[in-house]
Amino acid sequence: MEMEFGAQSDTGCVRDNNEDSYRVAPEMNLFVLSDGMGGLEAGEVASRLAVDTVLAHCREAEMNPSLPLSGERIEGVSDRSNRLASAIRSANEIVYRTAQQGAGQRGMGATVVAVWCTDERISVAHVGDSRIYRLRAGNFEQLTQDHSFVAEEVRHGKMTAEEAATSTMQNVLVRALGIEPAVEVDVSEALLTEGDSVLLCSDGLTRELSDAQIAAVLGEHQEAKAAAKRLVELAKQAGGGDNVTAIVLRRAAKSNGAIARIGRLFKHSA
Amino acid sequence: MAKLVLKFENSVLKEMPVGSKEVSIGRSPENGLVIDNPAVSHYHARVFNEEGRLMLEDFGSMNGTFVNGQRVKMVTLKPGDSVGIGKHTIVVSESREMDGFASGNGSAKPAAPKINETVMLDTKERREFLQKVAAVGESSQVAPSRLKVPTLIVRKGRTNQKEYALNDKLTVVGKSGMATVKLKGWFAPKAAAQITRRDDHSYYIGAADKVPSVNGQPVLHPTILSSGDIIVVAGIEMEFVYRD
Repeated sequence: MEMEFGAQSDTGCVRDNNEDSYRVAPEMNLFVLSDGMGGLEAGEVASRLAVDTVLAHCREAEMNPSLPLSGERIEGVSDRSNRLASAIRSANEIVYRTAQQGAGQRGMGATVVAVWCTDERISVAHVGDSRIYRLRAGNFEQLTQDHSFVAEEVRHGKMTAEEAATSTMQNVLVRALGIEPAVEVDVSEALLTEGDSVLLCSDGLTRELSDAQIAAVLGEHQEAKAAAKRLVELAKQAGGGDNVTAIVLRRAAKSNGAIARIGRLFKHSA
Repeated sequence: MAKLVLKFENSVLKEMPVGSKEVSIGRSPENGLVIDNPAVSHYHARVFNEEGRLMLEDFGSMNGTFVNGQRVKMVTLKPGDSVGIGKHTIVVSESREMDGFASGNGSAKPAAPKINETVMLDTKERREFLQKVAAVGESSQVAPSRLKVPTLIVRKGRTNQKEYALNDKLTVVGKSGMATVKLKGWFAPKAAAQITRRDDHSYYIGAADKVPSVNGQPVLHPTILSSGDIIVVAGIEMEFVYRD
Protein backbone atom coordinates (compact mmCIF):
# COMPACT_ATOMS: atom_id res chain seq x y z
CA MET A 1 0.00 0.00 0.00
CA GLU A 2 1.36 3.36 -1.02
CA MET A 3 1.71 5.70 1.92
CA GLU A 4 3.40 9.05 1.60
CA PHE A 5 4.60 10.84 4.72
CA GLY A 6 6.36 13.96 5.92
CA ALA A 7 7.48 14.85 9.44
CA GLN A 8 8.85 18.02 11.02
CA SER A 9 9.67 18.94 14.59
CA ASP A 10 10.94 22.23 15.99
CA THR A 11 11.77 23.68 19.42
CA GLY A 12 9.73 26.75 18.54
CA CYS A 13 10.53 30.34 19.43
CA VAL A 14 10.28 30.34 23.21
CA ARG A 15 11.37 27.06 24.73
CA ASP A 16 15.01 26.18 25.40
CA ASN A 17 14.81 22.62 24.21
CA ASN A 18 12.59 20.32 22.20
CA GLU A 19 10.68 17.86 24.35
CA ASP A 20 8.68 16.50 21.41
CA SER A 21 9.83 13.23 19.86
CA TYR A 22 8.58 11.22 16.92
CA ARG A 23 9.40 8.02 15.07
CA VAL A 24 8.31 6.75 11.68
CA ALA A 25 8.50 3.15 10.50
CA PRO A 26 7.28 3.45 6.92
CA GLU A 27 8.02 -0.21 6.18
CA MET A 28 5.39 -1.00 8.82
CA ASN A 29 3.15 2.01 8.12
CA LEU A 30 3.53 2.93 11.78
CA PHE A 31 3.87 6.54 12.93
CA VAL A 32 4.16 7.80 16.49
CA LEU A 33 4.61 11.18 18.18
CA SER A 34 5.04 12.21 21.81
CA ASP A 35 5.14 15.51 23.72
CA GLY A 36 7.14 15.29 26.95
CA MET A 37 6.68 17.22 30.17
CA GLY A 38 8.54 17.77 33.42
CA GLY A 39 11.34 20.11 34.33
CA LEU A 40 14.90 20.12 33.02
CA GLU A 41 15.44 17.23 30.60
CA ALA A 42 12.71 15.00 31.99
CA GLY A 43 10.36 15.87 29.14
CA GLU A 44 12.85 14.94 26.46
CA VAL A 45 13.66 11.66 28.19
CA ALA A 46 9.98 10.83 28.61
CA SER A 47 8.92 11.48 25.03
CA ARG A 48 11.90 9.67 23.58
CA LEU A 49 11.24 6.63 25.77
CA ALA A 50 7.60 6.72 24.74
CA VAL A 51 8.15 6.66 20.98
CA ASP A 52 11.03 4.19 21.15
CA THR A 53 9.02 1.78 23.28
CA VAL A 54 5.93 1.91 21.06
CA LEU A 55 8.05 1.20 18.00
CA ALA A 56 10.03 -1.59 19.63
CA HIS A 57 6.91 -3.31 20.95
CA CYS A 58 5.16 -3.19 17.57
CA ARG A 59 8.27 -4.41 15.73
CA GLU A 60 8.64 -7.30 18.13
CA ALA A 61 4.96 -8.19 17.75
CA GLU A 62 5.32 -8.28 13.96
CA MET A 63 8.12 -10.81 14.27
CA ASN A 64 6.45 -12.71 17.07
CA PRO A 65 2.65 -12.54 16.83
CA SER A 66 2.23 -14.63 19.96
CA LEU A 67 3.80 -11.89 22.06
CA PRO A 68 1.34 -11.38 24.93
CA LEU A 69 -0.67 -8.19 25.03
CA SER A 70 -0.03 -5.74 27.81
CA GLY A 71 -3.41 -5.09 29.40
CA GLU A 72 -6.93 -6.22 28.51
CA ARG A 73 -7.99 -7.00 24.98
CA ILE A 74 -10.38 -4.37 23.58
CA GLU A 75 -13.44 -5.79 21.83
CA GLY A 76 -14.67 -4.45 18.53
CA VAL A 77 -11.27 -3.48 17.15
CA SER A 78 -8.68 -5.46 15.23
CA ASP A 79 -5.61 -7.31 16.50
CA ARG A 80 -3.45 -4.53 15.14
CA SER A 81 -5.33 -1.92 17.11
CA ASN A 82 -5.04 -4.03 20.23
CA ARG A 83 -1.33 -4.40 19.59
CA LEU A 84 -0.94 -0.65 19.31
CA ALA A 85 -2.78 -0.11 22.61
CA SER A 86 -0.56 -2.73 24.20
CA ALA A 87 2.53 -0.92 22.92
CA ILE A 88 1.38 2.32 24.49
CA ARG A 89 0.65 0.63 27.82
CA SER A 90 4.19 -0.74 27.75
CA ALA A 91 5.50 2.73 27.05
CA ASN A 92 3.59 3.99 30.07
CA GLU A 93 5.15 1.37 32.31
CA ILE A 94 8.66 2.28 31.19
CA VAL A 95 8.19 6.03 31.54
CA TYR A 96 6.58 5.53 34.95
CA ARG A 97 9.39 3.34 36.21
CA THR A 98 12.00 5.78 34.93
CA ALA A 99 10.20 8.67 36.60
CA GLN A 100 10.04 6.84 39.93
CA GLN A 101 13.73 5.96 39.85
CA GLY A 102 15.06 9.36 38.90
CA ALA A 103 15.69 12.02 41.49
CA GLY A 104 13.53 15.04 40.81
CA GLN A 105 11.87 13.25 37.92
CA ARG A 106 8.54 12.66 39.56
CA GLY A 107 5.93 14.37 37.45
CA MET A 108 7.89 13.46 34.32
CA GLY A 109 5.39 12.41 31.70
CA ALA A 110 4.43 12.45 28.06
CA THR A 111 1.52 12.39 25.67
CA VAL A 112 1.47 9.94 22.78
CA VAL A 113 -0.40 9.65 19.48
CA ALA A 114 0.10 6.73 17.11
CA VAL A 115 -1.27 5.61 13.76
CA TRP A 116 -0.79 2.13 12.29
CA CYS A 117 -2.16 1.50 8.79
CA THR A 118 -3.47 -1.80 7.46
CA ASP A 119 -4.89 -1.56 3.95
CA GLU A 120 -7.66 1.03 4.14
CA ARG A 121 -7.94 0.90 7.90
CA ILE A 122 -5.91 2.93 10.33
CA SER A 123 -5.56 2.09 14.00
CA VAL A 124 -5.58 5.30 15.99
CA ALA A 125 -4.41 5.29 19.61
CA HIS A 126 -3.51 8.04 22.07
CA VAL A 127 -3.05 9.30 25.61
CA GLY A 128 -2.95 13.03 26.36
CA ASP A 129 -3.66 16.14 24.33
CA SER A 130 -1.56 15.65 21.23
CA ARG A 131 -3.94 15.04 18.34
CA ILE A 132 -4.71 13.05 15.21
CA TYR A 133 -6.84 14.57 12.45
CA ARG A 134 -8.12 13.32 9.09
CA LEU A 135 -8.76 15.53 6.07
CA ARG A 136 -11.15 14.06 3.52
CA ALA A 137 -12.71 16.02 0.67
CA GLY A 138 -12.50 19.27 2.58
CA ASN A 139 -13.77 17.83 5.88
CA PHE A 140 -11.19 18.23 8.66
CA GLU A 141 -12.05 15.92 11.54
CA GLN A 142 -10.29 15.43 14.87
CA LEU A 143 -10.09 11.68 15.40
CA THR A 144 -8.89 11.84 19.02
CA GLN A 145 -10.44 13.35 22.17
CA ASP A 146 -8.07 15.47 24.27
CA HIS A 147 -7.38 14.08 27.72
CA SER A 148 -7.25 17.55 29.17
CA PHE A 149 -9.23 18.99 32.05
CA VAL A 150 -11.04 21.54 29.86
CA ALA A 151 -11.92 19.01 27.15
CA GLU A 152 -13.48 16.73 29.76
CA GLU A 153 -15.44 19.67 31.21
CA VAL A 154 -16.74 20.50 27.72
CA ARG A 155 -17.68 16.88 27.08
CA HIS A 156 -19.71 16.85 30.29
CA GLY A 157 -21.41 20.12 29.56
CA LYS A 158 -19.67 21.98 32.39
CA MET A 159 -17.91 24.37 30.03
CA THR A 160 -18.51 25.62 26.50
CA ALA A 161 -15.90 25.22 23.77
CA GLU A 162 -15.36 28.99 23.78
CA GLU A 163 -14.75 29.02 27.53
CA ALA A 164 -12.35 26.13 27.09
CA ALA A 165 -10.40 27.97 24.40
CA THR A 166 -9.75 30.92 26.71
CA SER A 167 -9.51 29.03 29.99
CA THR A 168 -6.37 29.33 32.11
CA MET A 169 -6.63 25.59 32.70
CA GLN A 170 -6.05 24.64 29.08
CA ASN A 171 -2.65 23.12 29.73
CA VAL A 172 -3.83 20.81 32.52
CA LEU A 173 -3.98 17.15 31.57
CA VAL A 174 -5.94 14.38 33.25
CA ARG A 175 -4.17 11.53 31.45
CA ALA A 176 -0.53 11.11 30.37
CA LEU A 177 2.17 8.45 30.18
CA GLY A 178 4.42 8.01 33.18
CA ILE A 179 2.14 9.42 35.86
CA GLU A 180 0.46 6.24 37.09
CA PRO A 181 1.59 2.60 36.88
CA ALA A 182 -1.25 1.89 34.44
CA VAL A 183 -3.04 4.16 31.99
CA GLU A 184 -6.16 3.85 29.87
CA VAL A 185 -5.35 4.15 26.18
CA ASP A 186 -8.02 5.41 23.76
CA VAL A 187 -8.15 3.29 20.61
CA SER A 188 -10.29 3.65 17.51
CA GLU A 189 -10.23 2.74 13.86
CA ALA A 190 -10.88 4.86 10.82
CA LEU A 191 -10.75 4.61 7.07
CA LEU A 192 -7.98 6.05 5.01
CA THR A 193 -8.72 5.99 1.30
CA GLU A 194 -7.14 7.65 -1.71
CA GLY A 195 -6.98 11.38 -1.37
CA ASP A 196 -7.26 11.31 2.43
CA SER A 197 -4.64 12.95 4.63
CA VAL A 198 -3.90 12.23 8.27
CA LEU A 199 -2.10 14.60 10.64
CA LEU A 200 -0.45 13.70 13.94
CA CYS A 201 0.61 16.78 15.89
CA SER A 202 1.60 18.11 19.30
CA ASP A 203 -0.36 20.93 20.90
CA GLY A 204 2.37 23.38 19.91
CA LEU A 205 0.74 23.33 16.47
CA THR A 206 -2.90 23.53 17.46
CA ARG A 207 -2.34 26.30 20.02
CA GLU A 208 -0.90 28.52 17.30
CA LEU A 209 -2.95 27.69 14.23
CA SER A 210 -6.69 27.18 13.92
CA ASP A 211 -8.20 24.00 12.49
CA ALA A 212 -9.23 25.96 9.40
CA GLN A 213 -5.69 27.18 8.85
CA ILE A 214 -4.22 23.72 9.31
CA ALA A 215 -6.77 22.20 6.92
CA ALA A 216 -5.96 24.86 4.33
CA VAL A 217 -2.24 24.10 4.48
CA LEU A 218 -2.89 20.38 4.13
CA GLY A 219 -5.14 21.08 1.16
CA GLU A 220 -2.68 23.40 -0.55
CA HIS A 221 0.41 21.21 -0.32
CA GLN A 222 0.11 17.99 -2.24
CA GLU A 223 3.41 16.66 -0.97
CA ALA A 224 3.26 15.44 2.61
CA LYS A 225 6.81 16.63 3.35
CA ALA A 226 6.03 20.13 2.13
CA ALA A 227 2.81 20.21 4.16
CA ALA A 228 4.55 19.16 7.39
CA LYS A 229 7.30 21.70 6.90
CA ARG A 230 4.85 24.49 6.14
CA LEU A 231 2.70 23.73 9.19
CA VAL A 232 5.69 24.00 11.52
CA GLU A 233 6.88 27.19 9.80
CA LEU A 234 3.50 28.82 10.21
CA ALA A 235 3.21 27.76 13.85
CA LYS A 236 6.50 29.53 14.50
CA GLN A 237 5.35 32.59 12.63
CA ALA A 238 2.22 32.63 14.75
CA GLY A 239 4.34 32.71 17.89
CA GLY A 240 6.02 29.35 18.29
CA GLY A 241 5.31 29.40 22.02
CA ASP A 242 5.86 25.68 22.45
CA ASN A 243 7.68 22.81 20.77
CA VAL A 244 5.83 21.95 17.57
CA THR A 245 5.74 18.67 15.67
CA ALA A 246 3.66 17.53 12.70
CA ILE A 247 3.54 14.21 10.85
CA VAL A 248 1.46 14.24 7.64
CA LEU A 249 0.34 10.99 6.00
CA ARG A 250 -1.28 10.58 2.60
CA ARG A 251 -2.72 7.60 0.75
CA ALA A 252 -1.12 7.85 -2.65
CA ALA A 253 -3.27 7.13 -5.70
CA LYS A 254 -2.83 3.46 -6.60
CA SER A 255 -1.99 3.84 -10.25
CA ASN A 256 -2.39 6.23 -13.10
CA GLY A 257 -3.41 3.59 -15.62
CA ALA A 258 -6.51 3.87 -17.77
CA ILE A 259 -8.68 1.64 -15.60
CA ALA A 260 -7.80 3.64 -12.49
CA ARG A 261 -8.55 6.90 -14.25
CA ILE A 262 -11.94 5.64 -15.38
CA GLY A 263 -12.57 4.43 -11.85
CA ARG A 264 -11.86 7.89 -10.48
CA LEU A 265 -14.37 9.36 -12.96
CA PHE A 266 -17.06 7.41 -11.13
CA LYS A 267 -15.76 8.43 -7.72
CA HIS A 268 -18.19 10.29 -5.49
CA SER A 269 -21.24 9.41 -7.52
CA ALA A 270 -23.72 7.31 -5.58
CA MET B 1 13.35 39.92 57.45
CA ALA B 2 12.33 38.41 54.13
CA LYS B 3 8.83 38.29 52.86
CA LEU B 4 7.09 36.26 50.20
CA VAL B 5 4.82 38.03 47.74
CA LEU B 6 2.29 35.68 46.16
CA LYS B 7 1.27 36.76 42.69
CA PHE B 8 -0.99 35.43 39.97
CA GLU B 9 -0.14 36.91 36.59
CA ASN B 10 0.40 40.54 37.54
CA SER B 11 -1.79 40.73 40.60
CA VAL B 12 -0.44 40.56 44.11
CA LEU B 13 -2.64 38.21 46.10
CA LYS B 14 -0.92 38.06 49.45
CA GLU B 15 2.23 38.92 51.30
CA MET B 16 3.74 36.75 53.99
CA PRO B 17 6.75 37.41 56.17
CA VAL B 18 9.13 34.55 56.85
CA GLY B 19 10.37 34.62 60.41
CA SER B 20 11.65 31.89 62.65
CA LYS B 21 8.64 29.77 61.75
CA GLU B 22 8.63 28.10 58.37
CA VAL B 23 5.99 28.89 55.76
CA SER B 24 4.45 25.82 54.15
CA ILE B 25 2.96 26.21 50.71
CA GLY B 26 0.29 24.16 49.02
CA ARG B 27 -3.33 23.65 48.22
CA SER B 28 -4.38 22.29 51.59
CA PRO B 29 -5.90 24.98 53.85
CA GLU B 30 -3.52 23.91 56.61
CA ASN B 31 -0.63 25.55 54.81
CA GLY B 32 0.68 28.93 55.79
CA LEU B 33 0.48 30.06 52.17
CA VAL B 34 -2.48 28.48 50.43
CA ILE B 35 -2.51 28.38 46.63
CA ASP B 36 -5.77 27.06 45.29
CA ASN B 37 -4.89 25.73 41.88
CA PRO B 38 -5.21 22.18 40.50
CA ALA B 39 -1.60 22.09 39.40
CA VAL B 40 -0.46 22.68 42.98
CA SER B 41 0.00 19.71 45.31
CA HIS B 42 -1.67 19.69 48.70
CA TYR B 43 1.69 19.96 50.43
CA HIS B 44 3.84 21.39 47.75
CA ALA B 45 6.86 23.13 49.29
CA ARG B 46 8.12 25.18 52.19
CA VAL B 47 10.26 28.21 52.86
CA PHE B 48 12.29 28.39 56.07
CA ASN B 49 15.24 30.13 57.68
CA GLU B 50 18.38 28.11 58.28
CA GLU B 51 21.48 29.64 59.77
CA GLY B 52 20.60 33.04 58.45
CA ARG B 53 19.79 31.82 54.95
CA LEU B 54 16.36 31.61 53.40
CA MET B 55 15.74 28.10 52.06
CA LEU B 56 13.14 26.64 49.74
CA GLU B 57 12.33 22.95 49.73
CA ASP B 58 10.04 21.13 47.32
CA PHE B 59 8.11 18.25 48.91
CA GLY B 60 8.36 16.01 45.84
CA SER B 61 5.37 17.75 44.30
CA MET B 62 3.79 16.47 41.10
CA ASN B 63 4.43 19.50 38.94
CA GLY B 64 7.55 20.77 40.66
CA THR B 65 8.78 24.00 42.18
CA PHE B 66 10.81 26.37 40.04
CA VAL B 67 13.17 29.17 40.97
CA ASN B 68 13.88 31.67 38.20
CA GLY B 69 12.70 29.06 35.71
CA GLN B 70 14.75 26.12 36.98
CA ARG B 71 13.12 23.17 38.69
CA VAL B 72 14.61 22.72 42.20
CA LYS B 73 14.49 20.39 45.17
CA MET B 74 16.21 22.47 47.87
CA VAL B 75 17.86 25.83 47.28
CA THR B 76 18.82 29.05 48.96
CA LEU B 77 16.66 32.00 48.08
CA LYS B 78 17.77 35.59 47.72
CA PRO B 79 15.77 38.79 47.35
CA GLY B 80 14.43 39.15 43.85
CA ASP B 81 14.16 35.41 43.22
CA SER B 82 10.97 34.32 41.55
CA VAL B 83 9.52 31.03 42.77
CA GLY B 84 7.10 29.29 40.39
CA ILE B 85 4.46 26.97 41.81
CA GLY B 86 1.69 25.94 39.43
CA LYS B 87 0.70 29.11 37.65
CA HIS B 88 1.49 31.30 40.62
CA THR B 89 4.67 33.19 41.36
CA ILE B 90 6.14 33.93 44.74
CA VAL B 91 8.62 36.77 44.73
CA VAL B 92 11.15 36.94 47.51
CA SER B 93 11.71 40.43 48.85
CA GLU B 94 13.12 42.25 51.85
CA SER B 95 10.37 43.82 53.95
CA ARG B 96 11.93 47.23 53.81
CA GLU B 97 12.18 47.36 50.04
CA MET B 98 9.71 49.12 47.81
CA ASP B 99 8.27 46.37 45.76
CA GLY B 100 7.59 48.25 42.60
CA PHE B 101 5.37 45.52 41.30
CA ALA B 102 2.33 47.34 42.58
CA SER B 103 0.62 48.27 39.38
CA GLY B 104 2.48 47.57 36.24
CA ASN B 105 0.58 50.16 34.19
CA GLY B 106 2.81 51.50 31.50
CA SER B 107 5.94 49.66 32.55
CA ALA B 108 7.23 47.41 29.81
CA LYS B 109 7.25 43.82 31.00
CA PRO B 110 8.78 41.01 29.03
CA ALA B 111 5.94 39.24 27.27
CA ALA B 112 5.19 35.95 29.01
CA PRO B 113 5.33 32.96 26.71
CA LYS B 114 1.89 32.62 25.18
CA ILE B 115 1.78 28.92 25.89
CA ASN B 116 2.09 27.61 29.42
CA GLU B 117 3.93 24.40 30.18
CA THR B 118 1.70 21.35 30.17
CA VAL B 119 1.06 20.10 33.71
CA MET B 120 -0.87 17.24 35.26
CA LEU B 121 -3.94 17.76 37.37
CA ASP B 122 -2.68 17.05 40.89
CA THR B 123 -2.93 13.44 42.04
CA LYS B 124 -5.80 13.35 44.52
CA GLU B 125 -7.97 15.59 42.36
CA ARG B 126 -7.03 13.76 39.17
CA ARG B 127 -7.93 10.34 40.52
CA GLU B 128 -11.27 11.61 41.83
CA PHE B 129 -11.90 13.33 38.51
CA LEU B 130 -11.15 10.20 36.50
CA GLN B 131 -13.37 8.09 38.75
CA LYS B 132 -16.20 10.57 38.33
CA VAL B 133 -15.79 10.56 34.55
CA ALA B 134 -15.78 6.76 34.45
CA ALA B 135 -18.91 6.59 36.61
CA VAL B 136 -20.77 9.04 34.39
CA GLY B 137 -19.65 7.09 31.34
CA GLU B 138 -20.96 3.82 32.74
CA SER B 139 -24.32 5.15 33.84
CA SER B 140 -25.01 6.83 30.54
CA GLN B 141 -24.37 3.71 28.52
CA VAL B 142 -26.89 0.93 28.25
CA ALA B 143 -25.11 -2.41 28.51
CA PRO B 144 -24.68 -3.67 24.96
CA SER B 145 -26.26 -7.05 25.72
CA ARG B 146 -29.50 -5.30 26.59
CA LEU B 147 -29.50 -3.39 23.31
CA LYS B 148 -30.96 -4.78 20.16
CA VAL B 149 -28.38 -5.92 17.63
CA PRO B 150 -27.59 -3.36 14.93
CA THR B 151 -27.91 -5.16 11.60
CA LEU B 152 -27.53 -4.40 7.92
CA ILE B 153 -29.95 -6.28 5.66
CA VAL B 154 -29.02 -6.26 1.97
CA ARG B 155 -32.13 -5.63 -0.13
CA LYS B 156 -30.50 -5.15 -3.55
CA GLY B 157 -27.07 -5.77 -5.02
CA ARG B 158 -24.29 -8.33 -4.79
CA THR B 159 -22.55 -8.83 -1.48
CA ASN B 160 -21.02 -11.83 0.21
CA GLN B 161 -23.80 -12.12 2.80
CA LYS B 162 -27.45 -11.15 3.05
CA GLU B 163 -27.24 -9.84 6.59
CA TYR B 164 -24.51 -8.41 8.77
CA ALA B 165 -24.63 -7.96 12.54
CA LEU B 166 -22.45 -4.95 13.37
CA ASN B 167 -19.97 -5.94 16.08
CA ASP B 168 -17.07 -3.65 15.40
CA LYS B 169 -16.43 -0.02 16.04
CA LEU B 170 -15.64 0.40 12.34
CA THR B 171 -17.61 -1.36 9.57
CA VAL B 172 -16.48 -0.90 6.00
CA VAL B 173 -18.56 -1.49 2.88
CA GLY B 174 -16.27 -2.26 -0.04
CA LYS B 175 -13.89 -4.63 -1.72
CA SER B 176 -10.98 -4.18 0.68
CA GLY B 177 -9.68 -7.20 2.59
CA MET B 178 -10.81 -5.58 5.81
CA ALA B 179 -14.33 -4.75 4.62
CA THR B 180 -17.22 -6.39 6.48
CA VAL B 181 -19.82 -5.91 3.75
CA LYS B 182 -17.85 -7.26 0.82
CA LEU B 183 -18.90 -5.90 -2.55
CA LYS B 184 -18.59 -7.94 -5.68
CA GLY B 185 -18.03 -6.47 -9.10
CA TRP B 186 -15.21 -5.11 -11.21
CA PHE B 187 -15.55 -1.49 -10.36
CA ALA B 188 -16.46 -1.86 -6.70
CA PRO B 189 -14.26 0.49 -4.69
CA LYS B 190 -12.00 -0.70 -1.88
CA ALA B 191 -14.01 1.31 0.63
CA ALA B 192 -17.31 2.69 -0.58
CA ALA B 193 -18.66 3.80 2.79
CA GLN B 194 -18.02 3.34 6.48
CA ILE B 195 -20.20 2.95 9.56
CA THR B 196 -18.71 3.84 12.93
CA ARG B 197 -19.96 3.09 16.41
CA ARG B 198 -19.54 5.95 18.85
CA ASP B 199 -18.98 5.69 22.59
CA ASP B 200 -22.68 5.95 23.30
CA HIS B 201 -23.32 3.01 20.95
CA SER B 202 -24.94 5.11 18.26
CA TYR B 203 -23.98 4.33 14.67
CA TYR B 204 -22.91 6.91 12.13
CA ILE B 205 -22.50 6.42 8.39
CA GLY B 206 -19.89 8.36 6.46
CA ALA B 207 -18.61 8.68 2.92
CA ALA B 208 -15.38 7.08 1.75
CA ASP B 209 -14.65 6.43 -1.92
CA LYS B 210 -18.35 7.02 -2.62
CA VAL B 211 -21.02 9.19 -1.08
CA PRO B 212 -23.81 6.99 0.24
CA SER B 213 -27.38 8.15 0.55
CA VAL B 214 -29.64 7.54 3.53
CA ASN B 215 -33.37 7.60 2.76
CA GLY B 216 -32.58 9.41 -0.48
CA GLN B 217 -30.38 12.11 1.10
CA PRO B 218 -26.64 12.17 0.28
CA VAL B 219 -24.39 11.77 3.30
CA LEU B 220 -22.26 14.90 3.20
CA HIS B 221 -21.02 14.54 6.77
CA PRO B 222 -21.23 11.64 9.24
CA THR B 223 -24.92 10.96 9.83
CA ILE B 224 -26.57 8.99 12.61
CA LEU B 225 -28.45 5.85 11.59
CA SER B 226 -31.89 4.99 12.92
CA SER B 227 -33.69 1.67 12.68
CA GLY B 228 -35.36 1.39 9.30
CA ASP B 229 -32.99 3.72 7.41
CA ILE B 230 -32.33 2.71 3.80
CA ILE B 231 -28.73 3.06 2.67
CA VAL B 232 -27.79 3.13 -1.01
CA VAL B 233 -24.14 3.04 -2.10
CA ALA B 234 -22.03 1.47 -4.85
CA GLY B 235 -24.98 -0.29 -6.42
CA ILE B 236 -26.31 -1.91 -3.28
CA GLU B 237 -29.28 -1.09 -1.08
CA MET B 238 -29.33 -2.02 2.59
CA GLU B 239 -31.67 -1.49 5.50
CA PHE B 240 -30.21 -0.64 8.92
CA VAL B 241 -32.26 -2.15 11.76
CA TYR B 242 -31.95 -2.86 15.43
CA ARG B 243 -32.83 -6.54 15.76
CA ASP B 244 -33.86 -8.45 18.86
